[in-house]
Amino acid sequence: MTNHWIDIKNSDCILIMGSNAAENHPISFKYVTQAMEKGAKLISVDPRYTRTSSKADIYTALRSGSDTAFLGGMIKYILDNNLYNKEYTAAYTNAPFIVGKAYGFEDGLFSGYKKNEDGPNLGSYDKSKWAFEMDANGVPKMDRSLNHERSVFQLMKKHYERYDLDTVSTVTGTPKEDLIKVFKTYTATGATGKAGTIMYAMGWTQHTVGTQIIRAMAMIQLLLGNMGVAGGGVNALRGESNVQGSTDHCLLWHIWPGYLKTPRSSNTSLDAYNGKWTPKTNDPLSANWWGNYPKYSVSMLKSFFGDTANKDNQFGYNWLPKVDDGLGYSWFDLFDSMYKGDIKGFFAWGQNPACSGSNATKIRKAMENLDWMVNVNIFDNETGSFWKGPDTDSSKIRTEVFMLPAAVSVEKEGSITNSGRWMQWRYQGPKPMGNSRPDGDIIMELGHHIKEEYKHGGVFADPIVNLKWDYMTDHVYDPHKVAKEINGYFTRDVTVKGKLCKKGTLVPSFAWLQADGSTSSGNWLYCNSYTEKGNMSARKSKKDAPNKIGLYPEFAWCWPVNRRIIYNRASVDPKGQPWDNENWVIKFEGDVQDGKYVSKKWVGDVPDGGWYPLENPDGSKRDDAKHPFIMRKHGHAQIFGPGRADGPFPEHYEPLECPIEKNYFSSQMVNPTAVVYSTKADAHATCDPRFPFVGTTYRVTEHWQTGLMTRPQEWLMELQPNVFVEMSEELAKLRGIKNGERVKVSSARASLECTAVVTKRFKPFQIGYATVHQVGIPWHYGWRWPSTGTEESANLLTPPAGDPNTRIPETKAFMVNVTKL
Amino acid sequence: MTKSILIDTTVCTACRGCQVACKQWHDLPAEATQNVGSFQNPQDLTFTTYKLVRMEEEMIQGRLEWLFFPDQCRHCEEAPCLETAYDEQAIYRDPATGAILYTQATRSLDAEEIAGSCPYNIPRKAADGTISKCDFCNDRIHNGLQPACVTACPTGAMTFGDREEILSFASKRLAKVKQKFPKAMLLDPDEVNVIYLVAFDPALYSEYAVASSNRKGITRAVALRKMMGPLSKVVRV
Amino acid sequence: MKLNRRDFIKISGAAAAGAAVSGLGFDLTPVKSHASLLKTQYAKESTTICCYCAVGCGAIVHTSKRGDGRIINIEGDPDHVINQGALCSKGASLKQLAENENRLTEPMYRAPYSDKWETVSWDWALKTIAQRVKKTRDFKFESNNAKGQTVNRTTRIASVGSAAMDNEECWIYQALMRSLGLVYIEHQARI
Repeated sequence: MTNHWIDIKNSDCILIMGSNAAENHPISFKYVTQAMEKGAKLISVDPRYTRTSSKADIYTALRSGSDTAFLGGMIKYILDNNLYNKEYTAAYTNAPFIVGKAYGFEDGLFSGYKKNEDGPNLGSYDKSKWAFEMDANGVPKMDRSLNHERSVFQLMKKHYERYDLDTVSTVTGTPKEDLIKVFKTYTATGATGKAGTIMYAMGWTQHTVGTQIIRAMAMIQLLLGNMGVAGGGVNALRGESNVQGSTDHCLLWHIWPGYLKTPRSSNTSLDAYNGKWTPKTNDPLSANWWGNYPKYSVSMLKSFFGDTANKDNQFGYNWLPKVDDGLGYSWFDLFDSMYKGDIKGFFAWGQNPACSGSNATKIRKAMENLDWMVNVNIFDNETGSFWKGPDTDSSKIRTEVFMLPAAVSVEKEGSITNSGRWMQWRYQGPKPMGNSRPDGDIIMELGHHIKEEYKHGGVFADPIVNLKWDYMTDHVYDPHKVAKEINGYFTRDVTVKGKLCKKGTLVPSFAWLQADGSTSSGNWLYCNSYTEKGNMSARKSKKDAPNKIGLYPEFAWCWPVNRRIIYNRASVDPKGQPWDNENWVIKFEGDVQDGKYVSKKWVGDVPDGGWYPLENPDGSKRDDAKHPFIMRKHGHAQIFGPGRADGPFPEHYEPLECPIEKNYFSSQMVNPTAVVYSTKADAHATCDPRFPFVGTTYRVTEHWQTGLMTRPQEWLMELQPNVFVEMSEELAKLRGIKNGERVKVSSARASLECTAVVTKRFKPFQIGYATVHQVGIPWHYGWRWPSTGTEESANLLTPPAGDPNTRIPETKAFMVNVTKL
Repeated sequence: MTKSILIDTTVCTACRGCQVACKQWHDLPAEATQNVGSFQNPQDLTFTTYKLVRMEEEMIQGRLEWLFFPDQCRHCEEAPCLETAYDEQAIYRDPATGAILYTQATRSLDAEEIAGSCPYNIPRKAADGTISKCDFCNDRIHNGLQPACVTACPTGAMTFGDREEILSFASKRLAKVKQKFPKAMLLDPDEVNVIYLVAFDPALYSEYAVASSNRKGITRAVALRKMMGPLSKVVRV
Repeated sequence: MKLNRRDFIKISGAAAAGAAVSGLGFDLTPVKSHASLLKTQYAKESTTICCYCAVGCGAIVHTSKRGDGRIINIEGDPDHVINQGALCSKGASLKQLAENENRLTEPMYRAPYSDKWETVSWDWALKTIAQRVKKTRDFKFESNNAKGQTVNRTTRIASVGSAAMDNEECWIYQALMRSLGLVYIEHQARI
């Protein structure tokens, strides 16, 4: 989230689309309700009427997979009706940038496209075709009037010309009058002083066009001036208690802690690596914060390898693995490789892929190829016990499995980071049950055992032997020691910012980190979380900030540097004064002489950099100021996104499996860069009469993820005992299905027995001439719990395709059949 | 000062935190349930389910509404169950809080008669004849805590406080809700301590949302006792 | 004359005295004893953050100081600025997550082609895993890729998980995996 949970109360219009906050983030509705009590409008857009919809002022349905069309329609509506915030758009976004002549778009394809025969991407773009034109100083050319025919603004206008209400309504199945109602209500937040927010989740990410759906919404937020302001932002409602933290610490193939890049094989030295990934700008008004990249990467290496990392060995840079340029090592690729027999050892640590991964049958099959698996969990589960799962003959499976019992969160101490980026410390209640242990203890012990094995030699033992591994106190894992390492230390006496910093003291914030090895920091984003002043994440003060908008700056700690609303420099005008005087986030209160600011003082939230505002009170420009979007190379938010794999503007494509035979926007049916896998376990079927209905998966309040932390619990099983399929009364009638009876749902990959929930909350869609039915299934189940073994995972049905930017699977839109048993 | 709860169904999201918080505080076991084609479960209150969020899908004036009704004992000002039992060792009222409380001695009562006397169809019987229902978390109230369900509620659908405060808050709240839902009403506010605010016809939420006239009829035995006056109660014991 | 409960007890006198009925958590001792002890009265109190969704709600854990030292109660923390005491159905059931007879409480091992779990010691399990890691990693460890560039990796071991771990655990976990040369490191955020 760019903003945070409490901040939702400051909104004037809340769009919940691609998420179901009332059900999956129930406590968020404390703040949705508070906003509504003050007059905010709530809009719910979802294929299915949900508990969220039940509280909405406006509810309307769209067909799964048509979100880009819906949002593209909203962009056109904003532009056609001049509803965008002109000053904000021209000053803070890249709308005025001039795009080079090589850029083009025709019939669903951007310029620079090339098909890929080898997969898994269907194709790729030469993104250099989408570059901005630069002036003589190497700064992007701009037309702040937004009139230049190749300005981002004009190209956007042209791109969305096709997204008229009729076409959008045909593709989405949303009635035209509902589209107008939603567009009108939401875009009213473009007025200065008004804020609109978007609450989205996996309903947007889990598509072959997921990234671009979110980009479309980000464009809307920028056009309406909703970024950086209280009650605004682009808010991804993350689904797990620490999925924000685990992402920040980068348990992902492509990034190192703090969103640094995993080195490519072509980054042959630390210098080459830093050179490649440190963006450069020639614009003196661009802060280009990532220009600090080498300070963060070197400090991270110091945390990995401690004293053994030094300038002479490139701080251990070559001790860490490199990935091949152009290849992906994501979830899909991992299990594809395991399915093909190339992966032999496997850790499934606090995760249950046998139920959580799309096309789960392939995953379960893949695990049969393993020599060994380590499964760490609270409960026995479908992954660790895969060798005795349905249709499996254990006598034919060679895999050794180690199942290690983990402690529950209330039995240990440490921090987690919520969706609003708040790092919060939690404490031990009871001791771990039985012989279970906190994950931290298991990891530390395992590390010691592995180090022991390599003490006496082994292939390339240096990184293992040299790994800094002193995070125990009295032979017990000590989370405080790790938290301090993540924050970082001065590794020698050093003078920074004119101040002597003693060796062994904690670094106050990432502004103090150095690229010469004099500082360590396991994750620069968390530098400032555990300082000489103490553990910031354990703070509990209920005192609000002077702006009284619910920031609670001394409750827990938030990255970066306790900034509660990121991009907050965009919440003020170029003179540093808030667009919204009531719910202001920051404001500039420097002294003024002769119409010029002469001293620096920001109040409110921690500002996105403490520089002077862009303009003085008399309107003159300052040359010591910075543009507000400091993490962007050019300091401007990106309406035009030339870094994306599938194009600089979001474009509607149909899901890999879809119910209609044509894309109403172009002759390009599916995302031309989507990832699609092709082993015999990767079947898919589009516009196939055997699978006539759109299927989607989702969650319910009473269960969580694969259900492994809810299915073994009686109280929650009482509330939602069975895997079910929701369908309209119309579809039930068509198939002769009675409410509450067990039915079969099948896809090109598998079939699943479910209880039918026949409801008015699903309605058939009219898509062109076709009536399209949609059904939905929660994915919380699996054969291990309940012990009947009858309730299986909906991910047996979901497809082998994903987004080209993220490789997140398309589990929100695929094709199924539903029949009586 | 006795206590009351306002349950404003217009902001209830049916997260069912209240339903589980009740079981958690009271250490109540789960029911073995089946999905019968609805999210609601269990299907009804039971001896070990004191609080149940009822869920109904209704078309109202051409608009689909999903109605949520966190059902529980109303803790009547003059409780027919108490009057019917006429046995303070089994059913009594805590004058400090207004809670109507059942003890194990309910086992000696006629459970059908007690359940039948309740205009809201709340009490439930165990196999051994003991009767139970919501106890208002009377232990928590006496220790300065809110009932577990109220504490758990995220949206403010449940507000707990002194009866007079809650009555006045309820009428203010009703006035505000009526701007959006003109037919909104409070259910039996003068008779009960768990007062519901509903947006539509209460019958759409639950058959027993308001005191049911065919159940409210006090039995002949109770009527006779009432006529005999309070002293006779004591004599009986 | 309207009788309150206190009067009732007084009047009924001996008939009721000593006959306190203890059932369903109540007894019939005089009214003031309603200010009776909560089940959490003598428990240790600690705070936690809910382990389900990412709203980050605070909860209070009451752990028995006697007997088995297990959890008596978990409810929303009214002093937490986000949830202010509120919890959804999952959060409200936290106690049953921890106090659950279905939990794993011993390390277990499944041998090749076996149809059952065997209970093993931690020491054996971790030592054996370390040996397996070394064997699989060191066999065909890739120092260079096909282009001859230095890569120092193993693509024969993979890891998934976990957003269910604490920040500090995530950090040491990724450090251990990366030091081993793993590139297949993924978790919940990808799916």
